[in-house]
Amino acid sequence: MSVYILRRLLQVIPTLLGILTVLFILAYMMPSDPLRAVLGEQYRRLPPEVVEGIREEMGLNKSFIERYGDYMGQILRGDLGRSYILEENVSDIIAYRFPRTLELMAGGLIVGLLIGIPAGVIAAQKQYQWADHVLMVISLIGVSVPIFWLALLAQLFLTQSKYGIALFPVAGYEDGSVIHMILPSLVLGTNLSATLARVTRSAMLEVKGQDYIVTARAKGLAERVILVRHQLRNALIPIITVIGLDIGYLLGGSVVTETIFNWPGLGRAVVPAIERRDTPVILGILIFGAFLFIIINLLTDLIYALINPLIRYN
Amino acid sequence: MAVPVNSTTPQTPTIVLPTQHTSNRTRFWRAFRRNRIALAGLVIVILISISAVFANVIAPYDPIEPHYTDRLQPPSAHFILGTDELGRDLFSRLLYGARISLVIGIIAQGVAIGIGMTVGALAGWYGGWIDDVIMRITDVFFAIPGLMFLIVWVTIFEPGPVSIFLALGLISWPGDARMMRSQVLAIKELDYVTAAKSLGASTPQILIRHVLPNAIAPMIVLASLGIAGVILSEAILSFLGLGIQIPTPSWGTMVDASRTYITTAWWYGVFPGMIIMVTVMGFNFLGDGLRDALEPTQYNK
Repeated sequence: MSVYILRRLLQVIPTLLGILTVLFILAYMMPSDPLRAVLGEQYRRLPPEVVEGIREEMGLNKSFIERYGDYMGQILRGDLGRSYILEENVSDIIAYRFPRTLELMAGGLIVGLLIGIPAGVIAAQKQYQWADHVLMVISLIGVSVPIFWLALLAQLFLTQSKYGIALFPVAGYEDGSVIHMILPSLVLGTNLSATLARVTRSAMLEVKGQDYIVTARAKGLAERVILVRHQLRNALIPIITVIGLDIGYLLGGSVVTETIFNWPGLGRAVVPAIERRDTPVILGILIFGAFLFIIINLLTDLIYALINPLIRYN
Repeated sequence: MAVPVNSTTPQTPTIVLPTQHTSNRTRFWRAFRRNRIALAGLVIVILISISAVFANVIAPYDPIEPHYTDRLQPPSAHFILGTDELGRDLFSRLLYGARISLVIGIIAQGVAIGIGMTVGALAGWYGGWIDDVIMRITDVFFAIPGLMFLIVWVTIFEPGPVSIFLALGLISWPGDARMMRSQVLAIKELDYVTAAKSLGASTPQILIRHVLPNAIAPMIVLASLGIAGVILSEAILSFLGLGIQIPTPSWGTMVDASRTYITTAWWYGVFPGMIIMVTVMGFNFLGDGLRDALEPTQYNK
């Protein structure tokens, strides 16, 4: 097991370095002088030699290779740099905002699990019956619905009395307020619950014909016990894998959801940072997102190996 | 069906080969037709394509020219889906929007599948360090948060149709590459490839003439599902104001613009979003149906 973990960890290193490189090249190509972002209005009024001095100080005059080296060294020391505009370290911005995004992602994940897994189990139980067909058509629609539109519909019909009922607040975040979380979580979790329903269904069907299910039934176990303890438990592996892969989706979806619902998380920090050309913030959040995705997938792989010994030796 | 197999007549092989070929195709169509969801998908895709191609013929009004006297009109006999804040007919704008969405969807997915198939075939065929390097690069692009990458990309290269389909192509290929690689890995061990090799066929020849045609089925499925994904991503980008720029009619941009009028004009946001969903659904249904029809083993289960 430890050999497997070690090998898997070593595999992650080149991926991480590759991500840092791709993102650095992107940031390097960002148009417009970052100095303009830093200095704002002052930029035009300052004498050229002062501007030149600041450039020198920020290391913007160095060559591509030198800047790449500096940047890699800085990141590997765990320093994500400082925002050009906000007087804050990027790591502080992430530390402050990520918990909000995490709340939202957790909300979306809970919605996905609560709707997706039961729907998939029911569809598998009723294979080829009308309940199965209806659930699968709904899930195909659920995969296809643009979440920004869903958010708009929710705001249109559930937050105001003009066209619907004012059940929920239109947008915003309040510490510990569940009611503010409901609509954003539902919106973010929709695509995920549809995907999970489909994966759960096929995983359950895959397991259905296995010998141990027949054995369990033959020894007279109750159908419900077979369903939960034997069938669902063994169907969990592909479900966990999909959840791992969809964490990246939840992170991307949070950009849209946070923008619409005015949610003060990471996603909502990205769009203004891009408008202001605040490169360190953009880069920092992208790096953080990519790392998060890789770590989650590493964890799913390890869980996978823990459940299924075959993988370790492959 | 109940043909006795014990006949040893010499002409059997010459008959079996051609019939088997056509029967594969017929079997595919039979499976596809029986799948009502797949057929619905095909119909949706055809309808949307017709709207895109003939937008200028079907549209009752100009999609860009403002018409201030008809601002924010609800759906009526004159404007079947209502009008926007500049008095432009929503139905006409949606028709023209289909052009943008379809063109970006198809070209971007073309870029993605082009990169994915080339890279995946190379990795699968050569194996060894080439495979390792390529697959690590694939991992990198797989892990970068797609939407954020897109947002950064359009700030570097001005948001226009070309930069958008390039960017969408660039982040969508890893899945295609992985699938192509696994296909090639399986095919390269088959007898007909060994036979072609021993007959002295060159590597490109084997890859294009023998491996590619046999790996194509799952790639078609991925392409259909991929177009759905790309159309959705373009809509999200446009919704964030970073995609197709006004006044070009784009579905995502229209939903974004409608948010200002959310308390006065429900139709403005509802219809563009609905058409995005229906289009994406069409390609998803089609891809799903193709998968069932092209994978007989799965289908027979």
